[in-house]
Amino acid sequence: MNAIKDSKGRKAFRVINVLTLSFICLIFIIPIWNVLVTSFAQDIDVMGNDYLLIPHSFTLTNYTRVLSSGYMGAFKNSLLVAIAGTILSMCITVPMGFALAQKELIGRNILMKAIVFTMVFDAGIMPFYIVVRELGLINSMGAIIFPVALSTFNLIIIKNFMTSIPTSLIESATLDGCNDLMILVRIVLPLSVSIIAAVTLFYFVSYWNRYFEVIMFINDSRKYTLQVVLRGLMFESDESLGGGTYVYNNLKMAVMVLGMLPVLIIYPFVQKHFVSGLMLGGVKG
Amino acid sequence: MTKKPKAIRIKPPLTTRISKQRYLLIMLAPGIIWYVLFKYVPLMGLSLSFTDYGFRSKVSFVGLENFQRLLTSTIFWNAFRNTLIISLANIVFYFPAPLIVALLINELRSTKAKRFIQFLIYIPYFFSWVVVGSIFVNLLSPSSGLVNNIITKFGGDPIYFMASANHFRPVLISSYIWRQMGYGAVIYVASLTTVQPELYEAATIDGAGHWGKLFYVTLPGIRSTIVTMLLLNLSHVLLIFEQVLVMYNAAVYDVADVLQTYVFREGVLSGDIGYSIAVGMFTSIISLILVLSTNKISSRFLDEPIL
Repeated sequence: MNAIKDSKGRKAFRVINVLTLSFICLIFIIPIWNVLVTSFAQDIDVMGNDYLLIPHSFTLTNYTRVLSSGYMGAFKNSLLVAIAGTILSMCITVPMGFALAQKELIGRNILMKAIVFTMVFDAGIMPFYIVVRELGLINSMGAIIFPVALSTFNLIIIKNFMTSIPTSLIESATLDGCNDLMILVRIVLPLSVSIIAAVTLFYFVSYWNRYFEVIMFINDSRKYTLQVVLRGLMFESDESLGGGTYVYNNLKMAVMVLGMLPVLIIYPFVQKHFVSGLMLGGVKG
Repeated sequence: MTKKPKAIRIKPPLTTRISKQRYLLIMLAPGIIWYVLFKYVPLMGLSLSFTDYGFRSKVSFVGLENFQRLLTSTIFWNAFRNTLIISLANIVFYFPAPLIVALLINELRSTKAKRFIQFLIYIPYFFSWVVVGSIFVNLLSPSSGLVNNIITKFGGDPIYFMASANHFRPVLISSYIWRQMGYGAVIYVASLTTVQPELYEAATIDGAGHWGKLFYVTLPGIRSTIVTMLLLNLSHVLLIFEQVLVMYNAAVYDVADVLQTYVFREGVLSGDIGYSIAVGMFTSIISLILVLSTNKISSRFLDEPIL
């Protein structure tokens, strides 16, 4: 790809390319930066109508106010659902992915077809709602965990990765007298750390971010998760729509940072596992 | 998917195979139960669209009445129209965006810069729609938002983006692009690395310029990724829901109400379950047709079909 000598047009292209990409970076940095800066700003800095990009002050008051407010209950609910849900999801997905990766598995092809079919055809919201209701899950934390405990996408990522593990490893373990469970735990899992890390993050984030399942299945406001109360805070007191008590933006942004917190903390650590792991299975189902 | 001739093997009887694979079957069981309960039982629930389930304690069969109602409902047609407009805009504006950005990233020389920008634009994909919606409310706020600050600096009047029928759909599309683009771009960038360098060398020898390489080497080299992304996109484009549910408000119902939010209101909030299942089924079937026909058409350009 590297031409020995760049033509003038090529040089111009490189400059424009770098400028374009820098502009794209700004589109992603500015809104997130503004949230962070505003969340650390004093009331006086948000009373004017500035879109804060340069911090004028630094205070933790907003956070201490949020931590002692009702939002903490919702934060704890979110955390509980995300942790319990992720553990459950991994316990279902990993063994299933491993089993589906074994070529000699009985009924493997039919199972895979039945699984992929659910990706293309969705029964819709209402039949799903009725099932959850008939299971008696309405208004329980189970309603926001069990119905979404498995993601076909994550399952296929794991299955495809485990298919790529050399069969010779598994066969020699079988000869040594390992059963399938021992093979999974002792041989396959240690080889799959990257993919497990990526899928764990995907699950955690998907639970953390759930919104519509919560408002659909939960009526008791004490069981609301952070996303639901954040939506109420940001959209129902939106000044352009009128109504609602006025909450200063710095406080709102502190709640929002709570809403993005797990992602901001975990993502940098897991990110390096993504591309390699994700590519193997992610796209090609 | 390989078509190698298989060695003929005599299979042991099924019972022996089951007992040999008992651990595998145990591992499968929770997942299978989940699929049956939450994916296949709901499919059976679709038959309720032929009933008046929801209002009376006794459910009775009403034939195609729900579907007749749907075809004559102006709210349904409005939601249908909005869904189509938003979906079309989505395909036109969102679908090419990650590919273009990935091609630009691929032209960068510094590996560090490549990594950094992928790291950055992938972040919003992990934010909830509530967070992304809130970020946009903030950015577009008539009083303190960046966009309106710029507009008023140049002497314009602030625009109430979130409450304006003319601006709400563009807001939906731009926030969709903002959240989802990084995901697609990262996948395309990875896919671009699989294009064999010899092909570029051969193209250079044949006298291909940069555009020539793009159209004859790069794009054909990643065509199966492009088609997969298109299918993935099409499979949920008509089912757009949570984003709208989070971001819309009474002022923009007319332009923002989509099929799924209509289903949600009729079914969960008003309790008209039989009818809302009919609307949902209508959406799912159109979505299925869209995906399958695209798959059929695209399989002509690919070595093997995606689905």
